[in-house]
Amino acid sequence: MNTTSRTRRWLGLAALASLTLLAACERPPMETVQHGYRGTGMVQVYNPRALVELDKANVVPEAQPPADASGPKAGAVYQNVQVLGDLSVGEFTRLMVAMTAWVSPEQGCTYCHAGANFADDSLYTKVVARKMVQMTQHINSSYKSHVKETGVTCYTCHRGQPVPKEIWFTAKSEPYGSNFMGDKAGQNTPADSVGLASLPYDPFTPYLLGAEPIRVQPQNALPISGAKGESIQRTEKTYALMEHMSSGLGVNCTYCHNSANFGGWEGGPPQRVTAWHGIRMARDVNLAYMEPLTDVFPAHRKGELGDVAKANCATCHQGAYKPLFGQSMLKDHPELAAYRPYAAAPPADAAAAPAAAEPAAPATKP
Amino acid sequence: MAMLNFEKKYRVRGGTLVGGDLFDFWVGPFYVGFFGVTTLFFTLLGTAMILWGASQGPTWNLWQISIAPPDLSYGLRFAPLMEGGLWQLITVCALGAFGSWALREVEICRKLGMGYHVPVAFSVAILAYFTLVVVRPVLLGAWGHGFPYGIFSHLDWVSNVGYQYLHFHYNPAHMLAVSFFFATTFALSLHGALVLSATNPAPGTEVKTPEHEDTFFRDIIGYSVGTLGIHRLGLFLALAAVLFSALCIVISGPFWSRGWPEWWGWWLNLPIWSQWPLT
Amino acid sequence: MAQYQNLFTTVQAVGPLHHGVPLGHGNSPRTGKVPAIVHLFGRLGNAQIGPIYLGGLGLASLILGVLAFNIIGFNMLASVNYDPIQFVRQLFWLSLEPPGPENGLGLAPLNQGGWWQIVGSFLTVSILLWWARTYRRARELGMGTHVPWAFAAAIWLFLVLGLFRPVLMGSWAEAVPFGIFPHLDWTAAFSLRYGNLFYNPFHALSIAFLYGSTLLFAMHGATILAVGRYGGEREIEQITDRGTASERAALFWRWTMGFNATMESIHRWAWWFAVLCPLTGGIGILLTGTVVDNWYLWAIKHGVAPPYPAVFPEVMDPALMNGGK
Repeated sequence: MNTTSRTRRWLGLAALASLTLLAACERPPMETVQHGYRGTGMVQVYNPRALVELDKANVVPEAQPPADASGPKAGAVYQNVQVLGDLSVGEFTRLMVAMTAWVSPEQGCTYCHAGANFADDSLYTKVVARKMVQMTQHINSSYKSHVKETGVTCYTCHRGQPVPKEIWFTAKSEPYGSNFMGDKAGQNTPADSVGLASLPYDPFTPYLLGAEPIRVQPQNALPISGAKGESIQRTEKTYALMEHMSSGLGVNCTYCHNSANFGGWEGGPPQRVTAWHGIRMARDVNLAYMEPLTDVFPAHRKGELGDVAKANCATCHQGAYKPLFGQSMLKDHPELAAYRPYAAAPPADAAAAPAAAEPAAPATKP
Repeated sequence: MAMLNFEKKYRVRGGTLVGGDLFDFWVGPFYVGFFGVTTLFFTLLGTAMILWGASQGPTWNLWQISIAPPDLSYGLRFAPLMEGGLWQLITVCALGAFGSWALREVEICRKLGMGYHVPVAFSVAILAYFTLVVVRPVLLGAWGHGFPYGIFSHLDWVSNVGYQYLHFHYNPAHMLAVSFFFATTFALSLHGALVLSATNPAPGTEVKTPEHEDTFFRDIIGYSVGTLGIHRLGLFLALAAVLFSALCIVISGPFWSRGWPEWWGWWLNLPIWSQWPLT
Repeated sequence: MAQYQNLFTTVQAVGPLHHGVPLGHGNSPRTGKVPAIVHLFGRLGNAQIGPIYLGGLGLASLILGVLAFNIIGFNMLASVNYDPIQFVRQLFWLSLEPPGPENGLGLAPLNQGGWWQIVGSFLTVSILLWWARTYRRARELGMGTHVPWAFAAAIWLFLVLGLFRPVLMGSWAEAVPFGIFPHLDWTAAFSLRYGNLFYNPFHALSIAFLYGSTLLFAMHGATILAVGRYGGEREIEQITDRGTASERAALFWRWTMGFNATMESIHRWAWWFAVLCPLTGGIGILLTGTVVDNWYLWAIKHGVAPPYPAVFPEVMDPALMNGGK
């Protein structure tokens, strides 16, 4: 067929426009994983190029050789050991070295310890770290429903950074103070927190700090007279939380749901139950461990409203369906699996080793 | 003989693509042709397979019958009959039937001395189906990415594939396609109404003229596209809707693996905006 | 050998411009003494732009409509702190939101949905005035009122979404925000909240008519273009005095699918398909939340939702086991 030069010009323009738009896209091949009965469309789609990057970001640092569990306890040898007293000195030192590598590899021991007196609590980071050790032990012992035997360590969130990459603060509800017009109603902004959708941009405060109900779908076909159902606004807030969960875990909605019936549990993926527990765990972490640290953190570590940094799904998961793709660091650090209460040993008789009076500064590994 | 009162003079031989005079006849009002035979073959075979598949399924409820594609694990191979193979065969029959129908339309156009616009337009629709069950599955590496053949089950597929991208409404090609669908329906209502309003005027008055049609739209919105233009416009709008639909699904997966809202990042991060980070 | 396909006009004849069928008394003079000729438009349809009829109804409609549009725009601008760069950058995300659920059906404070209520009422009146305009223009030209009645179907859907249903639900918060992405969020949230709208039978009907309309316009548009060489686009003349264009067009479809329309009746098919889309759609929206709270469960109840074989291990609602949410 003969095309005129004018036709060719338009075709060329159309091709250029398509190529430009496609430039903003990715390219095949893609990896797809079926997650449900065939033909239902419950499929995870992964870009192998992105997975390569994600793999690199989820390399677990090599564990040190296990420490000697025998010998005097850290609680007996060192001063002001409130949480890890039951560890042997060897285990204690090993954990300290590991924590430094996991949280402050560049800053070293002095990130938490002020001066030569390692028992000193004057740096806020030490107080925070103590609370975080408790938090870690709590997650690993009380939330096996979410973390199973894989567990978490400081590295899971911190990944070698003093401040984890993925944290959140409560958003200012009305950025522009005019009372006359222009209320964004907490949404209608291209926020990263909701994957650039115009959904409510702070789904964390109500759901991962507060315990507002997340469910919006009624479990009855017909309305129940007298009962008022959930609003569209509440639905959008739930949707916003779900957006975050998706991007935080690098999965789509069909990982946990069959969208034919979002609210139904029967016949659905078990991952949703794990996620349910994860939400409770996040609330617990934020309420019982992060919020109480509000007065400990200095102003430059807090949000616009003076609130402390908090955790959401992305804090641990960082774009992977399981943090660190399910590799367990806990097996190399059983002391983080649960709080081990330490009771001071009864007064030793003359035959026992004399207790050291001075806290010995542990040697730092180069 | 089921012929309209003016039809006889149009029933001439000729215009066939394949088969010459062999199938150049009518059955009742239907033109047969070589491609009428192939259409019948594929249709009967495909329908029989659907019925057989339904009989092997849990129900005869019309709304619940579903023939599902294979598991993704079969990749681009043939799956066992009851594990999605039936779906594959039905798909082949569907494509055969649709293609045959289009070619039969071409033969009819040739016989009637008409342009090929109708079969070309129909081919765009076939292209959309082809994109859904062949192009996109091939790009993703498995026939299992096709949609199940069932009234409500295919809607479950639509819903879940949409949610694979978290919020499918943000797919830019989908936005265009939806806009074109609504525009087509809007334009169709206007065109149908306009012609009817001219030929069914105020009671007791004469049938109106194309000048009235033009005047009506010029009075209301200042422009009238005209009798020829509206048919071009309608065809373009309709084909645009279908083409952008095919585009919107073929890019979902093969050319984008994340949520569709995230795609808009390129606009938000253009260097021309001086403020960063995002508000 | 390239054949002309009747898609674009290659040679445009420019004749005396048409100033419109004369109107009876009681009508204003038309605006646009010298209608413009746009060559680009002429490649597809008529090249003439104008004259336009600007009467009282039209002017009132335009004023209210432009006012509503501007209120939306200024609220959007205010929401980005009057920064024009951010306004352009965030435009698709910006919105004017309806009142929150706590307001019920009352008048909301300006900045918490009050503006939305004002815009809604201005827009509604503007649209109704425009409807009256289409009605009046049809009547003044002595034509049938098919266009206004088609428009009425669209207005039905508009009113269902913004007025009837929120009133029935007792809450303006159920209505649609004015914003590009936000109204899409509303659509998704609506389906999420009410149990998956794909299972709403009126939604299914509406989509059938939407796709059906697209199918019909493709069919009809293509058919007319295909018989353009016989003057097929002169539909009024073909209706009152059937020519070979209508005959071939009808026979094409008769031979293809066994039945056919006429040059007039195809426009009735067209009108009904297009009008039934918003009509049934509006019904489907109206029934949602008022009569049915969860469409999927409704479908289960009525034996319409397809069953799937179980592929996952047994899952139970953890809230039931833990005694609370």
